[in-house]
Parts: sequence; structure tokens; C-alpha cells
Amino acid sequence: MTAETAQKFKALEAQASTLFEIFTNAQYEPVAPAVLQPADIFLDQIGEMLRARTYVFTAPDGEELCLRPDLTVPISRLYLERHPDASAVARYCYNGSAFRFQPEGRTQARPREFRQAGIENIGVRDLEKAEAETLGLTIKAVQACGLKSFIIRFGDLGLFQALIEALDIPPRWQARLKHQFWRPASFHDLLHRLLSDEPATQRSQASIILTKLAGAPEKDASEIVRQYLEKQGIPFVSDRSLTEIAERLLEKREDIHGPPLSKDIAQLIENYLAISGPPRAAFARIVDLSKVAQINIDGALQAYTKRLDLFAEADIPLSDAIFNAEFGRNLEYYTGFVFQLEHPELDLPAGHIGGGGRYDHLIGEIGKGHSIPAVGGGIHTERLLLAVEGLSIEGEDTEND
Amino acid sequence: MTETDNKLILSIPSKGRLKDDTLSIFKKAGFVISKTGDERGYSGVIEGMNGVDVWFSSASEIAYQLKSGKAHIGVTGEDLIQENIYDADTKVNLLQSLNFGHADVVVAVPKCWLDVYKMADLEEMAPQFYREHNRRLRVATKYMMLTRRFFSSHGIVGYRIVESLGATEGSPAAGTAELIVDITSTGSTLEANHLKILDDGVILKSQAHLVASRTATWSQEQLDFKQKLKECMQAQFA
Repeated sequence: MTAETAQKFKALEAQASTLFEIFTNAQYEPVAPAVLQPADIFLDQIGEMLRARTYVFTAPDGEELCLRPDLTVPISRLYLERHPDASAVARYCYNGSAFRFQPEGRTQARPREFRQAGIENIGVRDLEKAEAETLGLTIKAVQACGLKSFIIRFGDLGLFQALIEALDIPPRWQARLKHQFWRPASFHDLLHRLLSDEPATQRSQASIILTKLAGAPEKDASEIVRQYLEKQGIPFVSDRSLTEIAERLLEKREDIHGPPLSKDIAQLIENYLAISGPPRAAFARIVDLSKVAQINIDGALQAYTKRLDLFAEADIPLSDAIFNAEFGRNLEYYTGFVFQLEHPELDLPAGHIGGGGRYDHLIGEIGKGHSIPAVGGGIHTERLLLAVEGLSIEGEDTEND
Repeated sequence: MTETDNKLILSIPSKGRLKDDTLSIFKKAGFVISKTGDERGYSGVIEGMNGVDVWFSSASEIAYQLKSGKAHIGVTGEDLIQENIYDADTKVNLLQSLNFGHADVVVAVPKCWLDVYKMADLEEMAPQFYREHNRRLRVATKYMMLTRRFFSSHGIVGYRIVESLGATEGSPAAGTAELIVDITSTGSTLEANHLKILDDGVILKSQAHLVASRTATWSQEQLDFKQKLKECMQAQFA
């Protein structure tokens, strides 16, 4: 627990029971997954960057463990334990500790040990309905705790995917753009590289082998690579196969000989990512862009409006909501709708006290089985308490140890 | 306070070329270091200076001593400072590079990866690798922090670090990692293990430094000594 005083401890406990009441009344089943988790699954799913913020350690028997940095992965594991075939519908709620190293120093709003409360809605096939339910319940919960003013910021990774897939560009570029979406600087570099008229810098071995591959049929590529390595006396010291190496060399060949990305398409992508504003106005802007570019993203647009209609039906206060096309870029396991609740007075970069989104691949990847739709929302309870109590939370480190 | 509490602690490498080069440059600068007691012991003095205790420590231990303020001044590699001290700029102060102990920390991949010659290639091949092998690329290294920072600055996330405490260059051939981050001075070990350095894969060009601790307690006298030592060292490279 991070509570420094009995008083704060009691306040957090009281808040927790209010949150739980809202969740359980909505038929969400309380679950309490283990605090200690196998490090491997987390690191595979969340990657090295969160590892830098995760407390990883070795158990006396040599097993690599971590203190969970969030609860979505532990709950996905719990779900798979109960439903190994990953087909059942499940609604879970939780309130438990999570741990993150704070590289910029610890403050009341940035504790290294905090309690996260939230819900996970797994297996519901009507995606937008599950999203509206999740967002609606998360909002109802923070309101029940006394939070009056907040901003809903949301994004839609499904729209971005649809946009890229609708563009008239080679599939290998689509794959690369989708992959780099999560890293804005690299994404920008990639766009720039694709736009360039000059062929990709050809260096050393790559240029020689690419000359050898020029004009060769694709099926011969592996053999050409093998012969080249043999002649150069370079032994094969890798799990990667000749086919994998040849496949990427062929892509490089295409990049060098094919036309560069058109300026119009690059501009369209940049324009889309710059969209930010009230949900309906943002929608109109996206429709405009797609009409001018003559691309068909109707499916994703329909999902967007259906979602907004359901939000309205669920009394979600949309007057202060903001749609950000870029939003969601720092949360790699999300796949579609993403949201964040922000309290402007909280002394944090976006003042965020809760958030969540759709993560349709996570359970499939953890269970090495098929995917199942899932969406969740979590609340940083210490921050919620700070926001509700209107405490000043300056940047100083108030924890002692 | 006892007398030893007031002493300035100078921590220098305890063995090998680093130790010899350190002793030699201190001597040239006018500071003759000798061991006290047994030759195999780990403590010494600077001749004619009562206020200084010399410790002989391992190069990475010196980084920790400077970080925690147990030592006031030390000689160690910049690679070890950057790797072992989370927020190095706030904990230590690099007074002077010493022009020995040169080693580059580099990213190296198997030479047979003809399609990979830049950092950006790593992230581009990561999805293909995941698809074919059902796991992330593994990077063997003892430089976990430097690796994370450097990979992150290149927007690379599709990898896992495998901690390696020795013979890192052999990891790709042994099948325990796909690529490595390690130090190299001549490149011959990489060559012998059929690895190549990526074109933009030099993380740090490291060398031995004279380093002062920002967390140690300094008396005015000790600050004066630091200034004098710094100036004498700088004069060696003027």
C-alpha cells in the first residue's frame, strides 16, 4: 500500500468499495490475480521499454518474476486458466496493486506502487456495444467517487489501420507504416524515406548482393544468397533462414527500383494524424479526407458513428470529449478504440487518471491460440483520490524510505 | 569524526592495463601512488599527501563507489559510468578523459544477415522474425541500460535483452541470442565470431575518465585537491 497515513488508507479503502459496488452491480465478477507474475509473458507482450519500468527479479529457485506493472495481462492469464479455449464471454472487475519504476522521480501523482481499479470485458462480439459499456461504466465509477470535471480523450486505431489498408501502396509499406505507428519519430522518418526519390542508401554487402539479385526471379533469391555467402566464406550463424534474408532483400530491391511514395498519400497520412477536436467535427473532417483521396474506409467510419451514438445513449458526456487521431500511440497492445480520462488540474502531462481500450490480440498471443475481442478500462485510484480531494500535488517527492 | 573520515578517497582500477595506465598517468601528472602494506592488498597512498586514501577496486565497483559517494574521485570507463549509474549527470562529473582504455560499445549482428546493415533494419525485420520464430529478437549484452536507451532512441522495441556476463560474442553462434551489444577495441573478436557492426550501431566511444562524485561529502580542502588534480591531468593533454 502506498497510503502514508491511516487517514489516506481509509480514504482509499472507501473509494475502492464505491468503485467495486458500481462494477459488481453491473455484473462484473471481482477477481484478484497474483501480484507476482512470470516476467517472460509480460516482457514478451509489453516489450523492453516497459521492462525498464518493471521490477524484475529472480526467485530463489532461479525463476524470473516481476511485480505486475499492470492488471490487464494478469487478468488475461486468469481468463485463459478458466477458459483455455478462449471462447467464453467474461466480465471481470479488480482493484489491486501495480508497480512501476518512475524514472523522473516519485511524487504523489506518480507513485511507484499504486492501486489500479478497473474492468475487463472479454468475448463480446458487438464491439462498439462493449466499448460503450466499458467507457460508460468507468465514467460512472469515477463520478460515483466524486469526480466532477474531466475530459474524455479518445482515439481509434482501427480507423488508422483502415486508412493505411485503403491506400494504393504496396502491402510491405502498409505493414511497415502500421508497425511504426507506435513510434511517432520513427514513423515520420519512415514516411520521409518512402517519399525520397533517391534509392535507399546502398552500402557495402547489401549493394553487392542487391546487384546480384537484380532481375533474378524471386524463387531463385535464396539460392543466390546461399551461393554468395559460400563464396565470401561467411558461415551461417543464425536462426534466421536463407528464405527470410532473401525475402527482405527482395523488398529492398523493390524499394530501390519501384516508384517512391506519392506526396499526396504522405500528406493524407499526415493530415489524418493531425486531426484533433470534438468527436462529430473530427468525424466530418475524416469523411472529407477520405472523399478527397477517394478511398473507402466506410466500415471503420460506421463503427465510429455507431460508437458515438451508443455513447450518447449511455449518457456519456461528450460535450467535453476530444478525438485525437494520434492518441493511443504509446500503448502497443491496443488494437482499436482507446480512451483516457483527464483531470486538467492534475500535475501530469495529460493529467490522466484512467484509461483503457480494445486489445483483441493480447489473449490470443498469451495463450498461443485464437484471438478474442476484449476491451477494458482502468483507474489510477491514488490520482482519482487526489483529483477528488483537490489536493495540491506539486512535483516534490513526498515519500520517504 | 575520526581521521579517516576526513580523508579523500581516490579509487583506481586494481589490475591489468587499466591499472598500469592509471598509475603511469598519475605519476606523469606528479602524483606517485604506492600500495600500503602487502603488495597484494587493495589500499594505497599518494606519496606526500596525508589527506588521500587510495583504493584499488574493479572498474565497475568504482562506478558504484562514485555513485554512492563512498569514493570522491575515481578512474573508470565511461561505458561503466553510463551503464551503472541511472542518472549519471546528477551523480558524477567527468573531469577529464585520459586517452587510454579505449573501447566502443557497439551493436553487432551476424555477417550472414545481408539484409541488415542499419538500426532501422532491426525494427523492420522484427515482425518477420516474430512471425517465423514466434518470439522476439534476443540481444545478448551486459550493457542492459545502454542498450535500452540506444534502441529506444532508434524507435526499436521488438526485442528482448538476454543478460550475458561473458563470451557475449559467441551468443549468436551458440543460438542463445540473435545479436549482441558489446565492447570492442579492434574488432577482431567480432570478426572471429562472424559478426559485423551496424553502420549506425556505435552506442558509445568509451575511454577511461577521471571522475568526481557529486554525492560524496567534500571539504574545502578536498575541493581544492580535486581542482589541482584536474588541472594537472588536463595539462597532460594540453
